[in-house]
Amino acid sequence: MQSGLGVKAARVAIVVALFAIWEILSRTGIVNPRLLPSASDTLVTLGDLLQRASVRKDLVVTASEVATAFALAVPVGALIGFLIAENRYFAEVAKPLLFFAFSIPKSIFLPMFILVFGVGFSQKVGFGFFSTIFIVIMSTTTAVESVKVEHLTVARSYGATPMQTAFRVYLPSMLPVLLEALRISMIFNLTGVILAEMYASRDGIGHQIATWGENFQMKQLLAGVVMIAVIAIAFNELVRWVETRCSHWRT
Amino acid sequence: MSAATLRRLIVIVLIALWEILPRAGLIPELFLPSLSSTLAAGWNEAGEYGHALAVTLYEVAISMAFACGGGILLGAIVGSLPRPRILIMPMVSSLYAVPLVILYPVFTVWLGIGSESKIAFASIYGFLPTMLATAAGIQTIDPQLLLAARSMGATLSQRLVRVIIPAAIPTVLSGLRVGGALVIVGVVVSEMLISSAGIGYLISRYRTILDSPHVFAGVLLVLAMAIAFNAAIKWIERKAAIWQTGTRAGQTAAEEIAPSTLQPAT
Amino acid sequence: MQPLANITPLKPAGAIEVRNVGQIFKTTTQDVVALDNVSLDVKPGRFVVLVGPSGCGKSTLLMMMAGLRQQTSGTITISGAPIPEPDPNRVGVVFQEASLFPWLTAEENVEFPLALRRVKKDERRAKAQDALKLVGLDGFGKRHPHELSGGMKQRVSIARGLVQDPPVLLMDEPFAALDEQTRMTMGDELLRIWAATGKTVVFVTHSLTEAVYLADEVIVMSPRPGRIVDHLQVSLPRPRTYEMLSGDAFGSLRDRIWRHIRKSA
Repeated sequence: MQSGLGVKAARVAIVVALFAIWEILSRTGIVNPRLLPSASDTLVTLGDLLQRASVRKDLVVTASEVATAFALAVPVGALIGFLIAENRYFAEVAKPLLFFAFSIPKSIFLPMFILVFGVGFSQKVGFGFFSTIFIVIMSTTTAVESVKVEHLTVARSYGATPMQTAFRVYLPSMLPVLLEALRISMIFNLTGVILAEMYASRDGIGHQIATWGENFQMKQLLAGVVMIAVIAIAFNELVRWVETRCSHWRT
Repeated sequence: MSAATLRRLIVIVLIALWEILPRAGLIPELFLPSLSSTLAAGWNEAGEYGHALAVTLYEVAISMAFACGGGILLGAIVGSLPRPRILIMPMVSSLYAVPLVILYPVFTVWLGIGSESKIAFASIYGFLPTMLATAAGIQTIDPQLLLAARSMGATLSQRLVRVIIPAAIPTVLSGLRVGGALVIVGVVVSEMLISSAGIGYLISRYRTILDSPHVFAGVLLVLAMAIAFNAAIKWIERKAAIWQTGTRAGQTAAEEIAPSTLQPAT
Repeated sequence: MQPLANITPLKPAGAIEVRNVGQIFKTTTQDVVALDNVSLDVKPGRFVVLVGPSGCGKSTLLMMMAGLRQQTSGTITISGAPIPEPDPNRVGVVFQEASLFPWLTAEENVEFPLALRRVKKDERRAKAQDALKLVGLDGFGKRHPHELSGGMKQRVSIARGLVQDPPVLLMDEPFAALDEQTRMTMGDELLRIWAATGKTVVFVTHSLTEAVYLADEVIVMSPRPGRIVDHLQVSLPRPRTYEMLSGDAFGSLRDRIWRHIRKSA
């Protein structure tokens, strides 16, 4: 980002201001502190939660579900996407179907995963996979299509082998799009797993959050929300940072 | 065989398999009830589903007004002013990475398990992407059009009414499409999680008693709703097709933001 | 006995006077001199072409004549009065391409400047019809821009520039996006419209051939800083014909401009 120091400072200021408003609303009693515990209390609670073994275990469970679903969905989706994009006829047949599959709400199929897998690891991973794979397929076809025909023609005219074309033309042209795809797939994946945990599960951080909500434990609930938000944003920013490092490939 | 024919064939085969596989016992009816038993289940409880649909549609309509109204308005403001845009847009898109579904328990604590918490959640769920899409679209208005209007002596308000608003129509439509799809998801998901009415609630209730045909009848109803909404937006977009050329690359811009923001994350 | 000596003679409509105009763009790192002490007189009814490499400030100068941008120093007058903001009664502007509003028909596009001034519907329609007829688009008024070819779109733009009958027409590379053939035809069309209306035309282009073919006078500009390096009178007879392009007179004018441009590039 070409944003200067001033812009960054302003952004930090906005975040700080939001937390300050939160703190004031709760402290002054404008909002019932039982419904909205103050920001400082919430952060203290967050610190406590991170010390607890049970919460750590939940985080590990969620992380392993997210990682497994991601590790399955990305290669499978990328392969399907690549095969579709490579063949024009396939692409014409499959794309509208994929668009359709992509556009329907996935969450309504969550009960089906419970019916098939029962409640547990595989159900959550399965749903995470299901929420992620369509976006991976779509992004891969986009990535393949972002390879310029001119570049392929040039490579061919200089006698590049298929391997050379793959590594010297396809990969570098696709890399920025693929990174973007990974980032967005991760958003979908995380949302899918957490929703599955909240819906029906015995462990995982999503399950914890749902439980805190049902028991009106606002401090823990808000601390959990802040925790997940921070993790998600941090991961997102990390990938975006890598993306900008590779951005000179984009034209 | 033309691609469209093959595609239709695939769809027909899939629907046929949906009927045949469970009937033949190749897939347990618990996992996937046949199409006919799903439709029969829905038909037998038509009254219950109709009532649930009314509740869900009511929540969707109100959330859509909030999400799309707010998202389009704020997106237009942020998108057309360079300073707030540089400041806020990256923050908004970071926020997009957060699985917003974790906010729903907060809303149930605050607003109870009635329609209010669903409307609040779905409005927020649809708001961010609508705003992002609108802000991105507003930027694609061709500056030449504004310059031309100025050369003809158009005042600021004339430029807004006669140039910026008409040129923004495709953007507003894509905002509506994004926001609407997400609002439907938001309402149904929140009904599925904790509630006492609506299609999502029916799906979850029948799921707990392992009544698969009724679960799938609910799923079909939501699908029909999503498809109908998509078709409606497409119809409006076709009606406004002339506008599509109004932005420098209205089409490409819409496609660029498509994978990231166009569709529900779950 | 000098009864009339102290009365300033009225500047005739359509005269353009540019006096010692400078334009400085301030960037964060440095100030860029876009135009440096430019002076220029355009007599009413003349066809003047500004030509020069990218960055020589020719478009900037045109935008200032249109009142779309203010100079840092110096004065510009159109028909004897300065132009602090766009005034469609004095100046019509034709842009490159795509400046037609895609949601309006050709007719409505031409009516647009009149609609801004709340001219009555019938009068608007009648004026737009006349303007469209003048540019040879009689009967195409109901079409939307995307149903018109590139050349036709530019005819609509010209009609829009002329609909309020301003004495001056400013054109910013209006044919740049057209293919060679259409471009030649549009050049002839423009000369016909110009001859029929007697407007003062200031025309910006990159094309040397187009410059010489259209102009009474060619102003050659150079960049960094933008200034006028030559002012040619084109004495080729009118109407201009395709055959003149290969003549010696045409060639030597073209060469002279090219030498200036090559030097500054």
